Amino acid sequence: MSATPLACHTDLMALFARHGFDAGDVPILQPAEPFVELSGEDIRRRLFLVSEAGAEEMCLRPEFTIPAARAWLSASCAGQRAQAFIGPVFRQRADGSGEFIQAGLESFGRTDIEAADAELLALAIEAEALLGPARRTIRMGDVGLLAALTGAMNLPAAVVRRIRRNGGAGVSAAEPARTSGLSAYTGVLNALKGADPDEARAFVKDLLSIAGLKAVGGRTPAEIAERFLIRAEDDGAGLAAEQAALLARFRAISGDPDAVSAEVRALSADAGIDLDAALDRFDARTGFMAARGIDLSRLSASAAFARNLDYYTGFVFEFVAADAARPAIAGGRYDGLLRRLGAPADVPAIGCAIWLERFGDPA
Amino acid sequence: MSAADLVIGIPSKGRLQENTFAFFARAGMPLSQARGARDYRGQIDGMAGIEVAFLSASEIAAELARGAVHFGVTGEDLIAESIPARDEKIVMLTPLGFGHANVVVAVPEAWIDVRTMADIEEVAAAFHARHHRRMRVATKYLTLTRQHFARHGIADYRIVESLGATEGAPAAGTAELIVDITTTGATLAANGLKVIEDGTILKSEANLVAATGANWTHQAREAARQVLMRITAEETARRMREIRTRLPQPLKPLALGPFGATMPFGQPGGEVILHCPVGRVGPLSDWLIRQGAKAVTVSTLAYVFKSDNPLYERLTGGIG
Repeated sequence: MSATPLACHTDLMALFARHGFDAGDVPILQPAEPFVELSGEDIRRRLFLVSEAGAEEMCLRPEFTIPAARAWLSASCAGQRAQAFIGPVFRQRADGSGEFIQAGLESFGRTDIEAADAELLALAIEAEALLGPARRTIRMGDVGLLAALTGAMNLPAAVVRRIRRNGGAGVSAAEPARTSGLSAYTGVLNALKGADPDEARAFVKDLLSIAGLKAVGGRTPAEIAERFLIRAEDDGAGLAAEQAALLARFRAISGDPDAVSAEVRALSADAGIDLDAALDRFDARTGFMAARGIDLSRLSASAAFARNLDYYTGFVFEFVAADAARPAIAGGRYDGLLRRLGAPADVPAIGCAIWLERFGDPA
Repeated sequence: MSAADLVIGIPSKGRLQENTFAFFARAGMPLSQARGARDYRGQIDGMAGIEVAFLSASEIAAELARGAVHFGVTGEDLIAESIPARDEKIVMLTPLGFGHANVVVAVPEAWIDVRTMADIEEVAAAFHARHHRRMRVATKYLTLTRQHFARHGIADYRIVESLGATEGAPAAGTAELIVDITTTGATLAANGLKVIEDGTILKSEANLVAATGANWTHQAREAARQVLMRITAEETARRMREIRTRLPQPLKPLALGPFGATMPFGQPGGEVILHCPVGRVGPLSDWLIRQGAKAVTVSTLAYVFKSDNPLYERLTGGIG
């Protein structure tokens, strides 16, 4: 950043305000629980935890999204809100200070999904231009495409989870069946094919009592039985060769958004899998982007691009400089977040974070 | 005592302390606590310029990381857990042959469907979906647990920090599974827990560890050189036997190769003195007799001091 950080902050907030994002504020001190519960150990080891005598564990905010979402929930549980934040966030890091300035944009409750996606990206591009020369690659994708594909392929839940976590990477052709505690029960699994949950539960209870085992620890016999039943239906063999080939082809698709969409359409036609709804949403978004004046050739889209976490549910993007390992701007859509924080149903939500320190002196 | 002294962190209690005392005594360096067992400072009898600090094993790991002690005796588990970027901060000099224990993932025995980390991954995801909260892992090994779980692609869990009686957490309902240290597994079994097949995160034993960030004065280096020379002398002696004999013809050193034996003093006046690894003594003696020896005697060695000092070289390689 330049020698006058405050001026650049003011300019940024003015830009955000012109696009309908009001200046927001959330306390620096936050309950740690939602971050741990939603983001898991990966974020927890970066938290600055603070303990307060006799009270819940607190932390210094590591980002703006969860605090903003919690504030939205406690304020209204309904309605639209678009807010911009700028200020210090705190993460333990091997290199650099644990305190750094981040800007965040958070929009909750907007139901015109594809237009909101395009507008956020347009705003991020303007913010990048305001902060210095626009010299970054914009990578983008849509988690919804992968979700639609894996849903239509009828894959076992465990495989889908691994694919989603890795954006399709890591699940290579003909992944071998992994050894499992269930492998010892082949006969049982055959017997349980088509059994109902009550039978399975009674069966697991018998197994436990024969072995003289008491159910100790948070899983009930019913939960163990459920896993037996699921495995009885699906032999856990992982991916068939043609499924692996299909995923590999999907993963290799990249280009500008229109090219990606066309190739995924071709793939879905070849495989006889209906991805039209997801692709129509993808194309609608591309249309809004063009209408917003975004230069589509700047976008490096890829069918399997996903940001980490199973947090994102749709559009995802990041701005990465050629010489940088980490993005300077990153964000996307996370419609499931508010429900996981206590809302009765999914709420449309989109946002991004801007790491101001990564807009250093232009090379 | 002066600021230039070599400071050695020694466990302040329990089996680890007993074994450490025995180890140093064997190496001819008896440790003493100046004013009895309640004193936290001590010395090595007969060696000047060395200060012994009695600390808990976890404090020793922390003091090594800070460079507040030069040497420390502590478990690999604590080193791996508590010293990030360990290669920059410490040098593992030598394992000590005691304090063996494994850091393992253990689950309730009643989880009959769970045998591997892959099972845990599935169970954790199902648990998260069903209970709307993450499965809890009780442990004091936060770093080791995160690394191991990440390696196995497990994300649906959270750690509950446990500072004692971790094995009781599942029965008490404060966690679903644990990561803990175990020697025989008996405590785990007594608590209705079983170890996961690929859940052994680390096989640990007590190590002599050096801190790269300590104040390595000339005196401290010299004291370290002597300590390491004595440790090496004892260790070499323990692994070797001395074999003496006389042969009608000179022995060719190359012939000793297959036995891993050496002839440290040559063979002046026809007497042959060999050092041979314990396990090869029988075959070598037999071979010597077939070469014409009338008698072969084998004896244990107390110390084998040599001009080279590999542990000290490892130390200077690490601290520069």
